[in-house]
Amino acid sequence: MKKAILMLILLVMLTGCSLPGLSSTTKDTIKIGALGTSESYILAEMLAIMIERETDAGTELVTHLGSSIVQHQGMMRGDLDITSTRYTGTDLSGALGMDPVTDPDEALSIVTREFQDRFNQTWGPTYGFENSYSVAVTEEFAQENNIETISDLEPFADDLRFGVDNAWVNRKGDGYDGFQETYYSFGEIFPMNIGLVYQAAAAGSMDVVLAYSSDGRIKEFDLVVLEDDRRFFPPYDASPVIANETLEKHPEILDILEKLHNKISTEKMQELNYNADVELMNPRKVAEDFLESNNYFMNEGKGGQ
Amino acid sequence: METLEQFISYVSNNGGYIWVQFYRHFLMAAYGVLFAAIISIPLGILISKYGKLSSWVLAFGSIIQTIPALGAMAVIMIVLGLGANTAIFTLMLYSILPITQNTYVGMKNVDKNIIEAGYASGMTKFQLLRMVELPLAISVIMAGLRTAIVIGIGVAAIGAFVGAGGLGAIILTGTNATDGTAIILAGAIPTALMAIAADVIMGWIERKLQPVKSSKTRTT
Repeated sequence: MKKAILMLILLVMLTGCSLPGLSSTTKDTIKIGALGTSESYILAEMLAIMIERETDAGTELVTHLGSSIVQHQGMMRGDLDITSTRYTGTDLSGALGMDPVTDPDEALSIVTREFQDRFNQTWGPTYGFENSYSVAVTEEFAQENNIETISDLEPFADDLRFGVDNAWVNRKGDGYDGFQETYYSFGEIFPMNIGLVYQAAAAGSMDVVLAYSSDGRIKEFDLVVLEDDRRFFPPYDASPVIANETLEKHPEILDILEKLHNKISTEKMQELNYNADVELMNPRKVAEDFLESNNYFMNEGKGGQ
Repeated sequence: METLEQFISYVSNNGGYIWVQFYRHFLMAAYGVLFAAIISIPLGILISKYGKLSSWVLAFGSIIQTIPALGAMAVIMIVLGLGANTAIFTLMLYSILPITQNTYVGMKNVDKNIIEAGYASGMTKFQLLRMVELPLAISVIMAGLRTAIVIGIGVAAIGAFVGAGGLGAIILTGTNATDGTAIILAGAIPTALMAIAADVIMGWIERKLQPVKSSKTRTT
């Protein structure tokens, strides 16, 4: 009995110091938020590695957040100091509640300005890739019929089966209704879970699919993304977002972000996502390999692509 | 078979990562149950003394138990924010009922004659509690803790949704991969093993604490 009481007291004492082993709530820990996607996770790991290399701060990852809105709220509450991936199109309509803008540069300048003014957060320099909705067909089909843009597909559209993400069909603005107005209608449309879309196209069950442009599975299943020649889909350029307070404490972070600026093309991101989603590599390993192969961007201006 | 190979290669490549998440997962469950015990054991003792409270407290505990863990976690997240604390608080809520209930039952089951004997020999209420009632009830209380920690390990797996990490994060990573069964298993198997191990260890402690049923306690 005495032993049990002693143990309990010991445990209580242990927990007294802010849950050891869990939340290292020292002042110099930078909390990096990431979405549930591999992409977001990989970039969060990259930021963590770079920050730990170049500053004296530690990092902690908060991963698998449900949506951009959750990321945004985490930032607003101070639970997060950095969010690894934010997309211009998503946050324009999500966090900012504004109308979609089709010009990528304009969208970027709006979010940069508004995040600074409204939330006291810095919209970091873009990574160089975008994760937008895009229309994809099999490589075979594209070569046979010499298709490069979405418009090229129009003559065939009536006979094609279009596999799409459930969430996309009813989206206002950039959903199927808007798509039909800007382009044309497909013969048949099949809404399904996004995970099935790529496989459906590869298996020949679908002729055309709506894909996420940086998804590694585009590569795995030999799909080709068609150019959005009428600029229907809003831009989803990816950037990190940092709380200004954190930047004041660690101004070096801005240099780190500058180093990553435009270093990851959409193709590169597809490759990295492929490593995580298909090769089942750990995001941390993917991030490490990428940074290592680029010498951690020590000599600015070189490396990457 | 292919899944098995993938599983083995994933585990061997990411052993360190899985271990870190395992440890984190265990700590979350342990803290949650510990905090719940700090609240629930005194609460259970209290309601065993004041019978009128018991139905209310136990009903309240049952109501908490019926809320889906994910929903509760989402609501708690609004107050506590992202991270492990939210997960710990949620699984603490789910641990309150089993611990309180077992403490209550354990205390109620203590033979009235023994208490009277203790009272007659001049023990104070506190001495009675510490030297007679608690030692006799401890194994039942431990059974409550055992249930609580097994539930807690399960709830902690959902903590990944609020950014708490743990083995649930590995499972979620697996659901995002194209053919992520191997990764899902790498998260799910350790979770199950942890629950089984916790159950076995707590069961062992429970038996060790079983009051000795010798003639000493059965004199009447």
